[in-house]
Amino acid sequence: MIYREAGQFKTTYAADQAVFSIVQDRVAVAAAVVGAFVVPPLVASEYWLQAVLIPFLVYALAAIGLNLLTGYAGQLSLGTGGFMAVGAYSAFKLATAFPHLNVLVVFVLSGLVAAGVGLVFGIPSLRIKGFYLAVATLASQFFLVWLFNKVAWFTNYASSGTITAPDRTLFGVVITGPNSAPSARYLVALGLVAVFAVIAKNLVRGRIGRSWMAIRDRDIAAEIIGVRPLRTKLLAFGISSFYCGVAGAGLVFLYLGSAETLAFDISISFLVLFMVIIGGLGSILGSFLGAAFIVLMPIVLANAPHALGLRLPVALQKQIELMVFGGLIIFFLIVEPRGLARLWQITKEKLRLWPFPH
Amino acid sequence: MTAPAGPLLEVDGVSVRFGALVAVNRVSLRVGRREIVAIIGPNGAGKTTLLNAVSGFYHPYEGTIAFEGRDRTHLAPPDVAALGIARTFQNVALFKGMSVLDNIMTGRLLKMSGSFLLEALYWGPARRQELEHRAFVERIIDFLEIQAIRKTPAGRLPYGLQKRVELARALAAEPKLLLLDEPMAGMNVEEKEDMCRFILDVNQEFGTTIALIEHDMGVVMDISDRVVVLDYGRKIGDGPPAEVRRDQAVLDAYLGVAHA
Amino acid sequence: MLDLLYAVAVAPFRDMAGAPAFLIEVLIGGVFAGLMYSLVALGFVLIFKASGVFNFAQGVMVLFAALTLVGLLERGVPVLVALALTTVVMVALAFAIERLVLRPLVNQAHIILFMATIGLNFFLEGFGEMLWGANVKKLDIGIPDRSFIVRGVQINQLELTAAATAAVLVTVLAVFFQRTRIGRALRAVADDHEAALSIGVPLRTIWVVVWSVAGVVAIVAGLMWGAKSGVQFSLSLIALKALPVLILGGFESVPGAIVGGLIIGVGEKLGEVYWGPLVGGAIENWFAYVLALAFLLARPQGLFGEKIIERV
Repeated sequence: MIYREAGQFKTTYAADQAVFSIVQDRVAVAAAVVGAFVVPPLVASEYWLQAVLIPFLVYALAAIGLNLLTGYAGQLSLGTGGFMAVGAYSAFKLATAFPHLNVLVVFVLSGLVAAGVGLVFGIPSLRIKGFYLAVATLASQFFLVWLFNKVAWFTNYASSGTITAPDRTLFGVVITGPNSAPSARYLVALGLVAVFAVIAKNLVRGRIGRSWMAIRDRDIAAEIIGVRPLRTKLLAFGISSFYCGVAGAGLVFLYLGSAETLAFDISISFLVLFMVIIGGLGSILGSFLGAAFIVLMPIVLANAPHALGLRLPVALQKQIELMVFGGLIIFFLIVEPRGLARLWQITKEKLRLWPFPH
Repeated sequence: MTAPAGPLLEVDGVSVRFGALVAVNRVSLRVGRREIVAIIGPNGAGKTTLLNAVSGFYHPYEGTIAFEGRDRTHLAPPDVAALGIARTFQNVALFKGMSVLDNIMTGRLLKMSGSFLLEALYWGPARRQELEHRAFVERIIDFLEIQAIRKTPAGRLPYGLQKRVELARALAAEPKLLLLDEPMAGMNVEEKEDMCRFILDVNQEFGTTIALIEHDMGVVMDISDRVVVLDYGRKIGDGPPAEVRRDQAVLDAYLGVAHA
Repeated sequence: MLDLLYAVAVAPFRDMAGAPAFLIEVLIGGVFAGLMYSLVALGFVLIFKASGVFNFAQGVMVLFAALTLVGLLERGVPVLVALALTTVVMVALAFAIERLVLRPLVNQAHIILFMATIGLNFFLEGFGEMLWGANVKKLDIGIPDRSFIVRGVQINQLELTAAATAAVLVTVLAVFFQRTRIGRALRAVADDHEAALSIGVPLRTIWVVVWSVAGVVAIVAGLMWGAKSGVQFSLSLIALKALPVLILGGFESVPGAIVGGLIIGVGEKLGEVYWGPLVGGAIENWFAYVLALAFLLARPQGLFGEKIIERV
């Protein structure tokens, strides 16, 4: 009864075009955003911030990026890890070369560098499609990671081959590096994600999003109504890589603190792809749901035997985790191939009618 | 803008080949301003191929295609669209994952100007532009009587409605020339009548020139100003419907007289 | 600048001409590696052809087969019996995959099935290690890993055997596809699922058959790779090495998988030996991809694909 749209008439196209056109949605979303900024820093333990919330936000950003490319523009990519690496190493180089540069500017610039690299690796998408393109994007994944591993300049000639986020402040508070508080890093991550999620939503509901989806759904028809495939696909590669680049910078600066190229290997590409598929292709909300699912699942799995009073050898536990993880992914794909976002939508539609379904 | 004289579309001696197969063989035809021209012919006569050549999807092996007096034989499909040619497809080619409204809005893409930053913020001119185009699209939705399905994903619509939405998408581009590839295929009598009415209305109200491929001879005779007949890639007839109907070559092609 | 040009465009060829025996060794090494890639690529092609599934779990199937085989051998099972039992396991696996993964996902988008095989990848990795342990194991099937020298060219007996086996298997599969009834049914299914169903091709049986065949191919691949470099987790990564072969040869072409494998194998070895040192080595991870990509840009339909005329 509470969740009702009856009596809410839209009298302008502006109201009808709004992202959340039902009052209850607007109130709930506003409450959630305010809550996300206020509650965790006050309540959450360091473990929750560091092991759950920060990685969730960083991965959500990467998932939005990949969803723009794969979910909206229909270009399957397995190169996410490579583009994240570009962002991370650019951020490291920029932050160490220009110590006085505002760290938020560093993030945006690293995103732009990643976007540039993404444009280059997006060029094959004009000629090849589908799985061929997916395999082609693996080239970027392997090449980029190899490059950062081989060329010592990228790590400032560190003998360990790792990059470490330096201490940087924002409004006088240390927000990156070894001396930063998790709550500060959380707030920065949340701010970044909130802004970029809104931008992504604006892009996909307007001119650009429609041309992406047109290319995705029927590329020939899209051309004949005037969509230029190369420009449209490259734009998707560029923007997607920008998001992945910022997420990569966030991964090192806000979450891990320091990283080697191993942090950006092929498995991270698959992980982000899982988030997008399980969350829902072509859904910004789905990117968040998918990221939450993939971040939380290993933690639940790791703690489940303990909660059940079982004591398993470490190796066995790891193997069972892998099996359950793989099994759950298949299970979810079977139950709802369109992802968690679709389940959420169905729930909402039911709720609209509840408690009088007829 | 004053409309210059002369035909809107001039196809001159165009051939399209796929390997050894000559799908269209030295076809010439003219479509005058505000005309409704029907292209008819048996299956495999090269009708759709001709349309594809006009919309830039195939490029002719020989011959030229001119639009508003300017040669555009070798343009790519998006450039052809930018000149003001829109079309629908034989097997509906809607964007199935998008709503009907979004599908029709894609028809406005060429009329929208891009400012990436403003769009990212959905602010100022970007927002105004979006709403203006929405208002335009709503007029087309009213015109084609598809208000009730605005928010439905296009892939879930029945076939007849999909054809109508595809027409709406083409109209949203405010084309000078509208190419319709079998707009009534697979429709029942009632749906066909609706579609005929829409085509005539479009022609009269917006002054849109229309070239269409159709198999239903009743429809062709009713709505077209002129009929062009293709057979085995060649043009075998061209004239007002009544005249074409009496033409011996056309009758032979349709009644299946042996091609000696 | 000139130095660089010389180092890239002249020196490698001078080196090749200067030591022809070494060049032949490199080439032979490339052919061997290429045949092994072909073997893995074949597993992909079979499954993709018959079910449209891009089976990312092919690599882990190789690992799983090898683990099973080694596990049985370690428990004192004779080689032939162990091979037979492993085959039974792989066929059972094919049944299970058809029933639990493919059947519930029939008619879903390709990307969903692809994701499901990545899930399968995780599952099999955990399952295989749980059954047989995660340590590196030596697979000894009685072929000595020693070399002999023919006219100054060093040839490894194990590699030679592996290559010969791969060549035989590839030929058998090609004949199977082209000449047998079930092979023709497979091709029919690949062309059009619904049409195949309507003329009475039993889709589910076909799927079990191709996954079983892919399982057997995985056993052979696991045997060869395992004998050479031990049975360990990294075996599952050879799937990634087979992918460039696929873009080169086409996802649906058996001859493409073979020729593509050879090109990638030889190209990769040449690149690594003669050009690799210029950029600090370890280029084998990506060189094959770049090679395949460069080729694909010139010829998008792949080695054996026909140019597709798109209809609207």
